[in-house]
Amino acid sequence: MNENITFTVSTYLVYLIISIALTVWVARTLYRNGHVFLVDVFHGNETLANSVNHLLVVGFYLINLGYVSLALKLSSNVDDARQSIEALSGKVGGVLVVLGMMHFFNLYVFSRIRRRATLSSIAPPVPADACTVAQKV
Amino acid sequence: MRSLTVLYDSDCELCRRIRAWLEGQPAYVNLLFVPAGSDEARRRFPELDHAATLAELTIIGDNGAVYRNGKAFLICLWALRDYREWSLALASPELWPIARRFLVWMSNRRFQIGEITPVHSTGQD
Repeated sequence: MNENITFTVSTYLVYLIISIALTVWVARTLYRNGHVFLVDVFHGNETLANSVNHLLVVGFYLINLGYVSLALKLSSNVDDARQSIEALSGKVGGVLVVLGMMHFFNLYVFSRIRRRATLSSIAPPVPADACTVAQKV
Repeated sequence: MRSLTVLYDSDCELCRRIRAWLEGQPAYVNLLFVPAGSDEARRRFPELDHAATLAELTIIGDNGAVYRNGKAFLICLWALRDYREWSLALASPELWPIARRFLVWMSNRRFQIGEITPVHSTGQD
């Protein structure tokens, strides 16, 4: 009985370590690479870029750690190493999929911000028919 | 380009309504409206064929670029903040021939369309 509890608790601990490490790694990747991108979008305004980047990463951490926390509980006891690895694999797989979806969602948000920013400087999509003299009014 | 002058047909109900709608939209480029064929239009654009501007919608940029008919409608969308993406999509090689034909068709029947569509009082007249 004692051994069962040890297996379950150690599965939880390993799950938490792997999940939190993965979340931190993805968030840091996002933060580092998102920075360059946002500075360009905000025309070199570092302060604004840092602020938006920080807010995005905070949201990212909250959602992912929230999911990691919610998904922690195992429905049955873990009796041996094999069950432990299987349970761990399922849980970590879930976390990876959620992290992946969040990551792509963030990329989508970045590309939307960029698109909005570049839209204002796009030239007319069709060439002019002619040219005329316009008098100053 | 900072501003566009739209030479619109002030005798046409539909055109006046579209003008009112355009004026209410947030825009990247300032839109100025001058009745086509008016003295004001002749004064601003002395070299333009003004008889032609009464037949088809004409828009002139502050750089002197002239856009006529279908292209002029597209440039109106391009000027607007909420519709610039639409103008880029419509200008794609696949959609543009269809979009242009539709806009020209609508423009040629502007008086009939103005008569059959219900009038919403804007309170401006």
